[in-house]
Amino acid sequence: MAKTEVTSEVTGSVWKVERAEGDTVEEGDVILILESMKMEIPVEAPHAGVVAKLFVAPEDSVEEDQPLCVIES
Amino acid sequence: MTQSDPRAARQPIPAVPGTAEERLAELEFRRDQARRMGGPEAVDRQHAAGRLTVRERIERLVDDGSFREIGTLAGTGGYDAENRLVSFTPAPYVAGLARIEGRPVAIGGEDFTVRGGTSFGSTRRKGGQGGFIEDLAHHYRVPLVNLIDGAGGTVTSIKKRGYTVFPGVHGFERSVSLLGSVPVASAVLGTAAGGPAGRAILSHFSVMVRGGSQIFAAGPPVVRRSLGQTVDKEQLGGASVAVDTAGTVHNAAKDEQDALDQVRRFLSFMPSNVWELPPVVPSDDPTDRCEEALATIVPERRTQAYSMHRLVHMVVDRDSDFEIRPTFGKAVITMLARIGGRPVGIIANNPMVYGGAMDAKAARKQIHFMELCDTFHIPLIFFVDVPGFMVGTKAEEEGTLREGMRAVYVAGNLRVPTLTVVIRKCYGMAGMATCNKNDIDLKLAWPTGEWGSLPIEGGVAAGFRREIMAADDPVAKEKEIEAELRPYASPFRTAEAFAVEEIIDPRETRPVLSEFVALAERRLQINVGPRLRSGVQP
Repeated sequence: MAKTEVTSEVTGSVWKVERAEGDTVEEGDVILILESMKMEIPVEAPHAGVVAKLFVAPEDSVEEDQPLCVIES
Repeated sequence: MTQSDPRAARQPIPAVPGTAEERLAELEFRRDQARRMGGPEAVDRQHAAGRLTVRERIERLVDDGSFREIGTLAGTGGYDAENRLVSFTPAPYVAGLARIEGRPVAIGGEDFTVRGGTSFGSTRRKGGQGGFIEDLAHHYRVPLVNLIDGAGGTVTSIKKRGYTVFPGVHGFERSVSLLGSVPVASAVLGTAAGGPAGRAILSHFSVMVRGGSQIFAAGPPVVRRSLGQTVDKEQLGGASVAVDTAGTVHNAAKDEQDALDQVRRFLSFMPSNVWELPPVVPSDDPTDRCEEALATIVPERRTQAYSMHRLVHMVVDRDSDFEIRPTFGKAVITMLARIGGRPVGIIANNPMVYGGAMDAKAARKQIHFMELCDTFHIPLIFFVDVPGFMVGTKAEEEGTLREGMRAVYVAGNLRVPTLTVVIRKCYGMAGMATCNKNDIDLKLAWPTGEWGSLPIEGGVAAGFRREIMAADDPVAKEKEIEAELRPYASPFRTAEAFAVEEIIDPRETRPVLSEFVALAERRLQINVGPRLRSGVQP
């Protein structure tokens, strides 16, 4: 049972949330898209599993290293 | 002082050895004692702390059976009233010659089971900071591996010696000079402060154990005394600070074996010294491999990020990559790899991190990596997608402009062949740091390439301010001018003027690079030897 907290690599804001809590994801699936420095930055699932927790919503500001979601497998 | 094991010496060691048998027995006894290190209880304590002994570390790193120890018998003998040896404590440092993947290296490390690895004031050192093993590396021109597990200088030797000595006055000069002649790799496997911490930094590659080792200028007791700050050693100098935040140490390992494997991996790309070329390891990954996925890996929308890691992996030999500083300065990726079996240094901007904009940490990371590859004759390949320097208050406070221009300066002084592949953006002074005009200035570009002093977006707003302000609809006017200029920014126009050397099909990136990397070999041979550097980095 792997439980991985996915954190933000950048300071920016949440542009789109593509998955919801409870969704099953494959490794590499885009869970949400951040915006920073005018770039759209996809946040991908580090491994297959379920989106156990989603901590952010569209238009939230995020800081570098801030937890975004938890993927459980 | 450890007691001699009564079972080890069958009879007392005579004060003056007489027969050949007596002499060999004494040799065997002394060697046996040296191998026992600080004794079984001290070894158990080391294991209980989750750490290996220095002898175990050496064994796990070097080729089986290749360790030839030197200075085995250095230490302190305990003698009785008749001058017979009754005990022997080895020096708290183990060193010698060994082979790693068949090539000779000088290797040494503190023995923490003996007096916590602190130096015990003898006039001649085996290693630690300078010392015999570093002279050996210098004399025979072979790499040096430091397995660091010591706390550094101690005041307890003062009484024995009878006076104080200047810090590092003998030894560090060798540690410094080695950096220009042989690869130096250091694994921080304990809590390093003072001398050992400094020794770790004077390396081309350093690695520490995440959650297991720490490194700092001085530890919690000194910090508490100097600043009244209470902080534990992991908070002060664990990997999350020393590797991820500060870049003090290059890489983090998940355990000691991983740290040793990383040292091995690093050395596999390096020549034995600067007078040799790095080893070519034939690969069964065909150099004419084209990758369909590269045609579409760059998204159609310019604002969309993509995985530069994935892109680079498709080009280099499969499984040949070794990333340096993956968790620090993440706006740039620095990676040793192979193409057609030949070592290359990859410097790739990471669009996932601030669009790949170069910040102070990325600049520092790039500078170290360029100097490393330049020194050891490893051709550099830039995979470029950089919008410019990082902007904003935080970036200016971090001195991004100076750090970035230092990267430009170092890039401009490279002697090693460099190739530039523009994947997408190549703008501004950060873009300058990815090309080497002293070389043949070979820039290849993908059809998605775009470049200039600054991008059209933003550039128009600044350059055509008067026209925009005078217009009835300034926003529409700005967009109109941008649309007018955009066709001129097509990379094919630049190619017509031969201001970019070639635009390639992304799918052919690997075969194209393979040819130029193979071509570089003759140039590398002409330029073997040490790098002479002059000028002051800005």
